[in-house]
Amino acid sequence: MKAKKVLALLLSLVMVLTLAACGGTAQETAAPAADAGTTADAPEAKELSGEITFWHCFTQGARMEAIEAAAASFMEANPGVTINIETMSWGDFNTKWNAGLTTGDLPDISVAQNTGEVAEMINTGVLADISGVIDSIGRDRFSENALGDMTTDGVTYGIPYYSHAQVMWYREDLLEEAGLEVPTTWDEFYDAAVALTKDGVYGAGFSCSPNDLLCTRYLNYYVRSAGGSLLNDDLTANLTSDIALEGIEFWVNVYKNCSPAETINYTVNDHATLYYQGTTAFDFNSGFMISGVASNREDLLEYISCAPLPLYKEGDSYYSAEATHIPLVMWENSEHKDVCEAFIEYLYQDDNYLYFLSAVPVGMLPSITGISDQEAYLSNETVQQFSEEAAVIEKAVAEGRAIGFEHGPSVQAGLLTSQGVVEEMFQDILINGTDIPTAAQAAEDQLNEIFETMVG
Amino acid sequence: MKKLKKIGPSTVFSYVFLTVLAIVCVFPLLWLLVSAFKSSNEMLANPTAFLPKDWTWENFKTVLFTLKFTVNIKNSVIVALWTTVIATFISCLAAYGIIRFFPKLGNIMTRILITTYMFPSIMLVIPYAVVMKTLGLTNTRVGLVLVYMSFSVPYAVWMLVGFFKTVPIGIEEAARIDGANRLMVFTKIVLPLVRPGIVSTAIYVFINAWNEFLYALLLVSSSDKTTLSVAVKTLEGADILNWGSMMAASAIVVLPSIFFFCLIQNKLAGGLADGAVK
Amino acid sequence: MKQPDRLSGRTYRTRRIDVTRWIFVAPAMAVVICLLIYPLCSTVLYSFTNKTMIKDTFKIVGLKNYIDILKDESFYKAFGNTLKWTVGSVLGQVLVGFTGAICLNQVKNAWAKSTFRILCIIPWAFPAIATAMVWKWILNGIYGFLPTMLVDLGITEQMLQFFSDKNLVMPTLMGINIWFGAPLIMVNVYAALQTIPQDQYEAAQIDGASKFQSFRHITVPHIRTVVGLLIVLRTVWVFNNFDIIYMITGGGPAGASTTMPIFIYDTGWTGRLVGKASAASIMLLIFLVILTVLYFKVINHWEKEDR
Repeated sequence: MKAKKVLALLLSLVMVLTLAACGGTAQETAAPAADAGTTADAPEAKELSGEITFWHCFTQGARMEAIEAAAASFMEANPGVTINIETMSWGDFNTKWNAGLTTGDLPDISVAQNTGEVAEMINTGVLADISGVIDSIGRDRFSENALGDMTTDGVTYGIPYYSHAQVMWYREDLLEEAGLEVPTTWDEFYDAAVALTKDGVYGAGFSCSPNDLLCTRYLNYYVRSAGGSLLNDDLTANLTSDIALEGIEFWVNVYKNCSPAETINYTVNDHATLYYQGTTAFDFNSGFMISGVASNREDLLEYISCAPLPLYKEGDSYYSAEATHIPLVMWENSEHKDVCEAFIEYLYQDDNYLYFLSAVPVGMLPSITGISDQEAYLSNETVQQFSEEAAVIEKAVAEGRAIGFEHGPSVQAGLLTSQGVVEEMFQDILINGTDIPTAAQAAEDQLNEIFETMVG
Repeated sequence: MKKLKKIGPSTVFSYVFLTVLAIVCVFPLLWLLVSAFKSSNEMLANPTAFLPKDWTWENFKTVLFTLKFTVNIKNSVIVALWTTVIATFISCLAAYGIIRFFPKLGNIMTRILITTYMFPSIMLVIPYAVVMKTLGLTNTRVGLVLVYMSFSVPYAVWMLVGFFKTVPIGIEEAARIDGANRLMVFTKIVLPLVRPGIVSTAIYVFINAWNEFLYALLLVSSSDKTTLSVAVKTLEGADILNWGSMMAASAIVVLPSIFFFCLIQNKLAGGLADGAVK
Repeated sequence: MKQPDRLSGRTYRTRRIDVTRWIFVAPAMAVVICLLIYPLCSTVLYSFTNKTMIKDTFKIVGLKNYIDILKDESFYKAFGNTLKWTVGSVLGQVLVGFTGAICLNQVKNAWAKSTFRILCIIPWAFPAIATAMVWKWILNGIYGFLPTMLVDLGITEQMLQFFSDKNLVMPTLMGINIWFGAPLIMVNVYAALQTIPQDQYEAAQIDGASKFQSFRHITVPHIRTVVGLLIVLRTVWVFNNFDIIYMITGGGPAGASTTMPIFIYDTGWTGRLVGKASAASIMLLIFLVILTVLYFKVINHWEKEDR
C-alpha cells in the first residue's frame, strides 16, 4: 500500500504543477455560441484562448485533410487558440484512452468508435456534458435515438458526427450471371451464396478474429431479424435462446459452405478486402464499401450495390439491425471547454461539415438534418451514382441502433462487442468441433462474468 | 584449408544451402518492393502475379507526400540515432567499468542487467507511461529515447563486455604510468581498440529502436512526433485500406535498415564472437 | 584533475579509484534501476489487487489472481504454446543459423561470401509490422503466392491454410520467426568461427583426425560459449515476443497460437484485468529467471572447461 501512496503523492504533485503552469491562461466562461453557428466566419467578438488536443481516427487522407483544414481556419480566426490534431487507428484509439486513464495522457476532444464506447466512457466518468453544443446546433436536427444512446440522467455526453448503418452488399454482375434475384430472406441469401461459391469466388465471408466484432455483428443481424436480442432485459448476455442458437448454426453453415477457410482469423479489414478484390459476392457493411472498392478495384465499382438486410421469414416487416453514429466527445479533464465547444460547433458549420462528409461520400452520412438536401451535398458524383444505395442505408440509419442498445444504452452492450467472446465461441465451434449449445452456454457464462466484474 | 580438395562435396553443399537460404531471405523483400510499384487495383485483381504490368511511383508519392511519411521518417531517424548514441556511450562505460574494476561482481552485474529483458513489454508500458508523466516527458521524443534505454542498454552492455575482454590490459597500464587519467585511457586507448565491436553493437541498437512499436504507440501521441512503425500501423488500421500505400509504406520502413546493414556488414562480422570467446 | 593524482598519497588515490569505477557503471545502473525497479514493484503490487484498467480504486485480494490463473485452462494452453514457440523457434534459428555459418566458412570466393552475407541478413531489418504484412500476403490461403504455387506444381492438392489450420498455424509462425532470427545467429557464429586458430585444424589433420572429429573437438568447444550466450538472449527474446504473433494471427484460431504475452495482453488490455495480467507477468518472469539460471549453470561449466 505504501507504493500506492507514493504514487498518489507523485501524481498529485504532477497535477499541481501542471495546474500551476496552466493557471495563467485566461479562463472565460463558455461561449454562448448561438451566433457562432449562424455565420460562416468564426466569431471574432469573443477572445478564445488555450491549447486543446483532438484525437481522431480519420486516418484516410481526405478526412484527415478536412479536419486539419477546419482546425487551421479556426486557429486563424482565433489567434489565441492552438489545436493539436492527433491521428491514430481505431484499434489503437481504444488502447490509448485506456492507457490514458492510468497515465493521465488524455485529449480534450476525441471521437469514439460508436455509441457503445461512449457508454463505456460515461461509466468511467471521464466525459463532460456536451449538451451546450447540441442545443446551439439545434437539438431537433439530430436523431433522437442517437442522442438518447449517449444520454445518462438527462445529460448528453456525445454528439453524433456522422452516421452509417449495416446493409447487405452484393455483386450485380455475379447475381445476373447465375440468374439469381437479390435475396430478401436469410434462406434466399444462403442459397444464393452457396450457388455463387465456385471458380475462385466465394458466396460470402464469415470472419471470426477475436480482435474484432464481426461474429457478434453477424449473429446480431440474424437474432434481430427475428425480433430477438443478444442481451436480456436485465442486461445479462443471451446466447442460448432458440433464435440465438439458430443464428449460430446459420453462420456456421455459411462459414462451412460459402466462406474461404482462411477467414476464421480475419479482422474487419482483412474481411472487407475480400469484397474489394471481388473474391466474395456478398458482404455486410456500411456505405464505406463504396470508397473501399473505389480505392482498390475501381473497375468493380459499377457492379456493386446494396439492399436491406435479409428478413427472417418472407413477409416479415422491415428491421434495421445496426446503425452506427460516430460521436465526438469532450473530456472532463479539459481545461478549455469553451474552446472545445466552439471548435466542435465550428466543425458542424455547413462548409466544414460538407467538406468533411465529401471525403467518404455515402459512407459518411450526415448526422444532422438540413445537409443532405443541399445542392453542394447532392452534386457529389458518388452521391449521385449511389443515390439508391444511400436511400437504403439512410433508412437503416433512421431505424437502427447500436448492437445491444435495444435495451437502452449500457456498458454491457459495449462489452458484448469489445471482448471477442462471441468470436472465440465461433472459433471454438469451427476449429475444435465443440457442439453449438455447449459452446454458446460457455460463452454466455463468460460474458456474464465479465459484465459482473466490469459493471458491478 | 587450401590443402583440402578444391571442390569437395562440402563446398557444393555449402553453395546450395546458402543459395536456398538467400532466396528465402530475400524473397519477401523482393515481393514487397515489387508490390509497392503496383497499383492497388492490379495487386488485388491479380494477387498471385509477381511482376507488375505497369510500374508506378504513385504509391510512394502518396505515402511520402500526402500521408506525410517524411515527418515520420525524420522522427524515427532522430529517435533511433539518439538512442544509439546515448545507449552505446553508456554501455561502453559500463562494460569497461565491469571488466576493469569489478572482475568478481561483473558476471553478476551483467546477469542482473539481462533480467530487464525478461519482462514482457506489454506490462512495462503502463508503468513507463506513469514515469514519463511524472517527469513531464509524455509525448516527447526525449521520453521515448529514455524508455528505449531500457532494452538497448542491457543488450549493449552484454555484447560490449565481450569485446572489452579482448583489450590487453598491458597497454592500458603503460598509459597510466605516463600520467593519463582513467577517463583519458578509456577514450584514447580502449575505445579505439574495440571500435568494430562498438559499431556492431550500435547497429543492433539502431535496428531495434527503429523497429520498436508498442512504446512508440503509447508514449507519443502527437502526429508530428510519431515514428514510422506506428505510422504504418495507423495506415493498416484505416477504415478504408489502400493496399498499394500499405506496401510502399512497409518498403519505406525496411529499406533504411537494410542500407545500414550493407554499409557496416563487414564490421558487424567482427561481432560478439571476438570478445566472448576469450 | 591530473595533479592531485601525483601529489596525493596512496589512501586518497585508492578512494578516487573507488569513485571513478562507480562513475563508469553508474549511468547503466541508473537506467536499469529507474526503468526496471518501478515497473517491477508496481506489477508485483498490482498482482495482489483487483485493479482494472478503467477504475482508479482497487483493493488487495491476496493470492486470488494467482489462484485464478492456475485454475484457468487457457493459461496452461498459452504456456504450452509459448514453450513450443520458444523451443521450436530457437532450435530452428540455431540450426539454420549454425549451418549457414559453417557453410559460409566453406565459401572461399570473397565476392560470393559478402553477397551471401548481405542477402541472408535482410530479414533482420524487417519490423514486425512489415514481417506480418508480407507473410500474410505470401501465405494467404485464398490467393497467397506460396500456396498457389504449391498447387500449380502439383505438390499439394488444395491451397494450404497456413494461418487457419490449427495444426499448421504454430509451425508457420515458428517458420516466420526462424526466417527472422536465423541471420543474427549466423552472423555471430560465423564471427566466432573466424577466431579459431587454423593451426589447430592443421595439427589435427596431421594427427589423422577425421573432419567430424576436428569439428567435435576443435570447433564445438571453441564456439559453444558464444552460441550459448546467444541462445540465452534469443530464448528470452522469443519467449517475450509479442508483436510478431499479435500482428499475424492475434493468437488465433481458437487460441491455437496464443502465447503468454498474448494471454497477458488479452487479460490486461482487452479484458482490462490489470491485476490478473500482472500476476501472469510475474509468473512468466519467475519462470524465465529459473530458466536463465539453468542456462548460466551450463555456460559457467563450459567456461571453466575452457580455462
